[in-house]
Order: sequence, then C-alpha cells, then structure tokens
Amino acid sequence: MTTVLLVDDEKLVQRSLEKTLLRAGFEVITAADCKGGSESFRQNAGTVDIVVLDLNMPGFDGVPKSGAGLDLLEDLKKQQPNLPVVILTAYDEVNKAKDAAARGSSAFFVKGREQGLVELIQKILKET
Amino acid sequence: MTAFDPRTAPQILYIEDNEESRALVRRLLSNRFVVLEAANALDGLQLAEETHPNLVLLDHNLPHMTGSEAATRLKKLLPNTPLVVISSDTSAGARIRALAAGAAGFIPKPIDDTFERLIEEYLNGRVEKLDHAEEHMAAYQQELVERLEGNIRQLTGTVERNKFLLDQNQRMFSMLERRHRLLETGARVAQVVTSILDINDLLKHTANIICSEFSFYYAGIFLLSEDKEWAVLRAGFGEAGRKMLAENHRLPVDDQSLAGKAILSRQAQITLDVDGEASRFKNPFLPNTRSEMALPLIFESQALGALTVQSNQMNAFTEEDLTTLQSMADQIAIAINNAQLMSKLENATAEILRRKTFEAIATATGEAIHWVGNKAAPIPGSIRRVRESLPYLLALIELVEGTAVTRDSLRAAVREIREQTRAKGIDLKRVMEEMSAMKPNRLASLVSVESLLEDLDIAETSANTILEIKEGLIGPARQRHDTAVSLGQMIRRTVANMGLPDGVVEIGWAEDLPHVHADERQMEQVFNNMIKNAWEALAGSTAPRITILGQRDRDPDYVQIIISDNGPGIPREIQEKIWVSFFTTKGGSGGTGLGLSACQQIVSQHGGTITMESEAGQGATFRVRLPVRKN
Repeated sequence: MTTVLLVDDEKLVQRSLEKTLLRAGFEVITAADCKGGSESFRQNAGTVDIVVLDLNMPGFDGVPKSGAGLDLLEDLKKQQPNLPVVILTAYDEVNKAKDAAARGSSAFFVKGREQGLVELIQKILKET
Repeated sequence: MTAFDPRTAPQILYIEDNEESRALVRRLLSNRFVVLEAANALDGLQLAEETHPNLVLLDHNLPHMTGSEAATRLKKLLPNTPLVVISSDTSAGARIRALAAGAAGFIPKPIDDTFERLIEEYLNGRVEKLDHAEEHMAAYQQELVERLEGNIRQLTGTVERNKFLLDQNQRMFSMLERRHRLLETGARVAQVVTSILDINDLLKHTANIICSEFSFYYAGIFLLSEDKEWAVLRAGFGEAGRKMLAENHRLPVDDQSLAGKAILSRQAQITLDVDGEASRFKNPFLPNTRSEMALPLIFESQALGALTVQSNQMNAFTEEDLTTLQSMADQIAIAINNAQLMSKLENATAEILRRKTFEAIATATGEAIHWVGNKAAPIPGSIRRVRESLPYLLALIELVEGTAVTRDSLRAAVREIREQTRAKGIDLKRVMEEMSAMKPNRLASLVSVESLLEDLDIAETSANTILEIKEGLIGPARQRHDTAVSLGQMIRRTVANMGLPDGVVEIGWAEDLPHVHADERQMEQVFNNMIKNAWEALAGSTAPRITILGQRDRDPDYVQIIISDNGPGIPREIQEKIWVSFFTTKGGSGGTGLGLSACQQIVSQHGGTITMESEAGQGATFRVRLPVRKN
C-alpha cells in the first residue's frame, strides 16, 4: 500500500485532494503547515512513500509565508534525501515551482485537475 | 617848467591793448601827468568811472568793442572829459568816425614829437571841428545801427541754435525715456512670465501683458509644431486672439508670413506700413493693423516659435524697439523652454504614476486570480468524484424489479432513469457487473452517501466563498449616510458582538474625544475587520491581547484609533502587500484578502488614513486617523 503525506493549509483543497488520493487507493496522512508536515513525517518514519506539499503556507514559526513549502522540502530532504516530493502550486506560480523542482523536488503539480496528481504520483513511484 | 606833483598833475587815462604802445605813451607823458592805463574797453570804462580823469586817450582797435562804440559810451559817462582817439588807421574816414563819435581829437599812429604838445592842447580845451558834422553824425548813427542790427542777428542766430539744441536734447531725452520704459516693461514682462511654469498660462499671460504694458493693438505667440512645418498659434490677445485660437490658426514656416519668416531666419521682422506692403499680410481678425513686428523665440540657437506684435499706428516700431523687445522675447523663450521642460517632466511623472497604477492593478489582479484559483481548486475534484459515483448509485436501480414498485409514478420514474442513462451511454448492467466484482471497501467508498454529500459541500462552500467576496468589493462603494458617530460606543458594541474570550480586548478611550462624521455601518465594517484580523493573528498565542485606544490626533481636526495585538507581527516583506486586495496569508482559515484593502478604501473615502507598524515577534499596530468634521 502506498502512503502519501499531504501538506496543505487550505482546508478544502486538502480534503478534496485527500479524498481523490484515497479513492485512487492510497493511504493518506495530512498536515496543515511546515511544522505539522515535518512532525508527521518523522512520526511515520519509513511508511511515507511520497510527499505532496503546498508552496505557500505557514512556516516553521507558524507565520504564513510565501514559499514556506520550500523550507519543508529542505527539511524532509534532510531527513530522507531520496524522498520523492511533489510541490503543489497555483497556476500563476509555475516558475516558483520549477525553481522548487530544481532544488530537489521530484515534480510540481498545478492545483485543479486532481486526477492528474494521482497519475503523477503513480508515474513517480513507478520510476523510483 | 614846473616841478611834477602827482597830487596836482592832470590824470590821463590811456585805453590801449598793445603793451608797447602803452609803454611808449607812459614814457612820453609820465614826467608831467599821471598816466592811468587799461588794456581793453571794458576795463577802461570802469577806470574812467572810478577816477574821472582829465583826458582819455583811446585806441581805435580794442577787444570787446570798437573804438567808436567805446567813445560813445565814454562820452555818455563823462560828457565833459575830452576824449582823443589814437589810431593807426590814418584814413580820413577814421578821423571823421572818431570825431563823429564825440572825440575832441584824432591822433594818427605812429605818434611823433608833436604828441606832448597835442596832449597839452587837448587838455586845455582844443576841440577839432568836423566839416558837415551832421552828415558825418548821420553816417555814424547809421553805422551804429547796422552794427547793432548785426549784433541782434547774431544773437537771434545763437538763440535759434540754442533752441535747436534744446529740441534735439528733448528728442534724445524722450527717446531715452521710451527706451528706458520699454526696457523696464520688457524686464517686468520677462519677470512675470518666467515665474509661470504652465505653458498655456505662460503664453496667455505673455500675450496679455505685452498688449497691456506696451499698449499694442495685438500680440500673439506661435510655437513650432513637432514636425517644425507649422507655426501654431498658442496664445493671442483679446477677441481676435480668441477667435483665431478657436480656428486653430497656424502658419506654414516659410517667408510668406512675418512670423514664419522670423522663425525661418531666426531674425526679427518688421513691417511698418502693412497697407503699403503686400496685402497677403492682412488678417481679417486684425483689420486695424498698420505695423507688425515678429520676433523669433530663440533658445540655445533653436527657434521655438515667434512672438508677433501689432500696432494700429503706422511706423510704430523703431530699430530701438526691436532690440528692446527682442531681449524680452529671449527671456520669454527661456520661460517657454522651462515650461516645456516642466510639462515633459510632468508627463514623465504621470507616465510613472500610470505605470505604478498598472503595476498595482496587475498585482491586485494577480492576487485576485491566485486567490480565486486557490478557492476554486477543490471544485473540479469534488464534482469529478460525484460524477464518478453517480453511475454506481444509478446501477442500483437495476436491482429494482418492476413488480416491486407498486405506484405507477415511481415505476415511471425508474423506467425514465433507465432510459436516460442508456441514452447517455451508461450501461447500467455492465456497471452492476463491475460493482459485483469490486472489493467491498472500494465499493463502499464509491457509493458512500456521506462522501457524496461532503463533496457537494466542498464544491458549494468553495463556490460560495468566491461569491461572498462580492460584499467586500462592493461594500466600500455603497452610498454613505454620514452622521456624527461615537466611535467609542460603536467599537465597544462591535467587540461585544464578536464574542471574543474575556480579557482579550482592552479599550482605552480619551474622555473628551469628539464624534466623527462618518457612515456608521461602514465604520463598523472597518473596525470589525481590523479587530478580527488582530484576533486571527493571535491564533495559537498563549496570552492573546488586543488593545484599542481612542485619542486626539496632533491635528485637532482628527481623532486616532490605535489597534495593537501581541501576535507574531507582520513580516517586513509582506507589509506592503497587506493593503492589496485578495492578498491573504490565512490560507485555510478562509480570509478573502479583501478586509484591509476594503478598510483602507472606506477610511480614505472618509478623508482619513490607516497605517501599520510591525516588527517580527512584536505584534502589529494599526493606526486609523479620521476627520472630526465633514470632508
């Protein structure tokens, strides 16, 4: 069974993605900010196969910050360097997400067509 | 021979300009007489009057006046003193003239050894008689009259010459005065116009002031068009100017018009008698022009345009005027250049402002799209799941046996569903088979009513959130109903209605704080938003605290409301962005990002301001200034 850690502070976005992933057959763990994401990953050490995280959300200090997802990306990569990570982004932040991909994320995904995320995750996991 | 006694010896006055002659006479006579001497007629006359000599010897050729004249004057002064004329003119006429003038005798030069004897005789009363004395007297009188006439002519000539000089001086003076006045006026015009930086104002003022100061019939200013092909009238004096401006009067830059010629040649042009010149100069708006002058407006050797000055007098302009007015035109050219620079600067500033506005709009639009995108993101996913579940739910219809439904209407409904799904290409029998083969938990999740309703909720909530921002956008634009609002009461009521935990909000209010002139509902929206923001910033804080202070501003026409919290503060990099519509940091907590932007809009519409100060970790302080009186 594949386990996805989903980190997004936008409640409805998080729930909807969670449902789509569940329906696609994944196990889903959720968190709403950097701190929560980092802790969930540690607590579920070894079980998380892939992380999907939002670009903009509260940072490790709890203060909302543009690009805070990159901090979490860095933190997770430290914990597990080969961890596949997908960055969630709004369509107007694609360049930022590409930048994130360059910094070690496996891919970025523009929010909206959730089924596409399922396909993306399956593709990444097949490759690794 | 008796001894010489100067006290009793006769006195002889000798009037003679020649020093040698005087020395000779002195030598001959001074052993017997007291000899008084004078070197010219005027001195001689004075000496005669003072000393009353016994005899006067008079040289015929004297400075200042002729011997005859001097003789006449001496005879009038001392009628009883004998007068003897001594002259080198030995002609008969000279003797006759001397005797006719009243002399007792005539001694020709050079004097000889008879001289002393002759003096004795004249002293003793010798008087030579003139034959036909009357004739000679008349001739002498005639000569005198002629001389006097000559003098008068000479005097008259002098007077006339003086008068001519005076006239000339006066003309010079008035010319200088006019030049001075022109220069002074020119300087004043230049001074007035150089202080005007708006180009249209400048040109209008210049045309008006030139006409009023110099009393010209008309003054107009042409500026060169961008392509330098036309001289475009930009200002004109009076009614004529107004009409020409209304007609967009312009002249080609060529030698067919004075203004065009002045620009082309960069030289001042004068036409002194317009009627005498080619009639093409005639302008129907300026029928009384008789003299016209066009001065190029030159700045750094570039012609910017021309100043035309017109008079209803013929030959109204002199070369002098031209020089004076040209120096004024040079000043005006500088002023025009300044004004043009200013206008370019203003345009550049406006351009920057426009770009900034576009940037702000782009930012706001970007934020809006980002926000809407985020809010809308779950909608397609939720709907897709509902759509996915629908065939499985409908397939359960297949389980309904025709006989099991007793009511006709329900039977019809079942039939209708079957027909419609078939029409839509959904094979319910096949779906049923698929379901039968599914793992139980997979099937349960696909036909979960709970999940279905949740997905509908997600879609509905997301859509509503997007629709609700309408209020935030339209709120500030609503009609205002301003009254005197007690902000203290209003804020206390707002805080009470928000139902915040006890002890979080502390309100400090200055006692004499005046009411503000504002729309109470909009003010409620502002403070509700700001307090809500502060509260949301305090999420997770162990000792949340919001302080609201109402106090007088330094400007007595304003009050200040200060709202501060002890939350995490606002990071420097987003401090600018918080005022932008749709910018939100709240993510999942559901802010529209319109709160502060709407607050700012409302407060600024009321003539107030909102400012914010925040340091990371030190909380945030918002300061609202509102005017007491209607703005």
